[in-house]
Amino acid sequence: MPVSRIVRNTLITALVIAAFAVSYRVTEADFPRLFRDLPKGRELLTAFLTPDVFTRDVETRTVSIVFPIPCGSAPTEESLPSEGPRLVPSVLCAEPLEKFTLEGFDLQPNSEVVIRWRLPDGRTMTAIRTQTDANGHFSQEVQARPIQSTVDGVASRLEVDTLTPVGGLKPSQALKDVTDNMFVTIFMALLSTTLATVIAAPLSFLAASNITRKGVIGTFVYYLFRSFFNLMRSYDPLVMATVFGFWLSFGPFPGFLALTVVTIASLGKLFSEAVENIDPGPVEALQATGAPPLHTVRYGVVPQVVPDFISYIIYHWDINVRISTIIGFVGGGGIGYYLNLSINDFKWHQAGTAIWAIVIVVWAMDFLSSEIRKRLT
Amino acid sequence: MLKIQNLSKTYPNGTQALKNVSFDVKDGEFLVVIGLSGSGKSTLLRCINRLIEPTEGKIFWDDVDITAAPPAELRRIRRKIGMVFQQFNLVKRSSVMTNVLSGRLGYVNPWTSLLGIWAQEDKQRALQALDRVGIADKAYSRADALSGGQQQRVGIARALMQDPKLILADEPVASLDPVLSHSILQYLEGLNKEGITVICSLHFLDLVHRYATRVVALKDGVKVFEGSAKEIDRAKFKEIYGEEAQEVRAASL
Repeated sequence: MPVSRIVRNTLITALVIAAFAVSYRVTEADFPRLFRDLPKGRELLTAFLTPDVFTRDVETRTVSIVFPIPCGSAPTEESLPSEGPRLVPSVLCAEPLEKFTLEGFDLQPNSEVVIRWRLPDGRTMTAIRTQTDANGHFSQEVQARPIQSTVDGVASRLEVDTLTPVGGLKPSQALKDVTDNMFVTIFMALLSTTLATVIAAPLSFLAASNITRKGVIGTFVYYLFRSFFNLMRSYDPLVMATVFGFWLSFGPFPGFLALTVVTIASLGKLFSEAVENIDPGPVEALQATGAPPLHTVRYGVVPQVVPDFISYIIYHWDINVRISTIIGFVGGGGIGYYLNLSINDFKWHQAGTAIWAIVIVVWAMDFLSSEIRKRLT
Repeated sequence: MLKIQNLSKTYPNGTQALKNVSFDVKDGEFLVVIGLSGSGKSTLLRCINRLIEPTEGKIFWDDVDITAAPPAELRRIRRKIGMVFQQFNLVKRSSVMTNVLSGRLGYVNPWTSLLGIWAQEDKQRALQALDRVGIADKAYSRADALSGGQQQRVGIARALMQDPKLILADEPVASLDPVLSHSILQYLEGLNKEGITVICSLHFLDLVHRYATRVVALKDGVKVFEGSAKEIDRAKFKEIYGEEAQEVRAASL
């Protein structure tokens, strides 16, 4: 092997190693950290895996008794009832900070119990929470309020709420919000894809070499539209969304515009390639009949490209749902924006709901679009 | 009367497809053009309706210079020249009916036809054309659902819609099963008998003998023979097609 080749190969190897070393440095790759910080990640993941989806209606029932603090500051309950939902404290009044036992009978079974003080001015202070058993009974040690709570001879009351879940599961607020925002995203993608199609479909014929690239004017038109599509395609949707966002203030509209612009370029390019790939035979046959140029395209080209066009449109709708999720993160509205807000507010379960919705919708769109495309021939 | 005068075609890549070809075609003739693949037959036929622009030479049709016709005039001329192709050139995804109707595009109202709306009269005419080639029952099938022979008949029906005075048939049977060749050529012969001039390129000697009223032979873009079909015997055929053609000829006969 000649020396020059050995030198060259060594040099190339050294350069490649150097490039990887630099890449490793700039990305601050620290793989062991993945394991060291596992608890943090697990907590997040657990939250994401238990999304906030359903709630149940809660029926609240309240029973209360007069309970003066300290004793003698106001009259106590004269007689406690002996049946029905009732509260039975071990003492009828107490000194501040005195501990006593409160029992409840015949309350709602298996329910959450909130024991609280209702002060004479109407304010409430939650004392403690507990749970009733299957017979609707609970027994709980309660500490009296630390200061005198009788004002102008009106004693404070001891109130107990039983919270019983009733009825079936129903969608939580988070699920409703996620659904609403998901629709914004899907329809934003739909509308931008539709608008982009309306604009890109006719222009794509001008950017197809087999249609326009004839003569000086035709060639000019061809290069004009081809470079127009290429130029627009080189802008990332995120950059576009940010630009439109500053221009029109953030929300779904600038996101929609950014998506439309990018889709016009992308569909225009795909469409024009579909037009270029047609069988030229029918076009030739139509020209031979003396059909005008527009009719040659209408009858010779359009029927051939319709399945491709539809396939690309559906595919792009699918892509746009995904992109508009990302665009939402920079303020473009929809599910991405909602997810961003949830994460910033540390509402992990709510974020989990959004993430699941995105996964499901993207999967469904992907499935749907491939099914539809399979049927087009 | 079609007059072809000193026709030459050089493609941008330098290929000389036609070299100074001249001949006349009288009205009502069934002229067959023979020659090897690449000898310039397709180029010659396409120069007549200017699907391919000739480099030099002139073509007169009833004293109108086709080669000098501006676009609108050219379309009016093309309306009267039907064309049948080796690959049928149908829009495969469109219905047979639409394919046939499209032969009428040079005549009909440009606005309604752009929207795909056709007069009852044109539809009637299309059905008649399909009936003539024996496939009226296939009118609403998709073109690619038909067999090769049927597709070529759709191609002929499309040409019929033009109410043509001349039909150019570019190897109309070369893509078909040889047993179907006669069925297709008989339709062309029938049209020829009604007074439509036919210029047809063919490969098989037996078909040439059977249908041609006159023959023009091309070899490497040069006209090497012009005369009646009877004059082409095996020796002449070998001269035109070269020594290697023997087996092909034997198989086709």
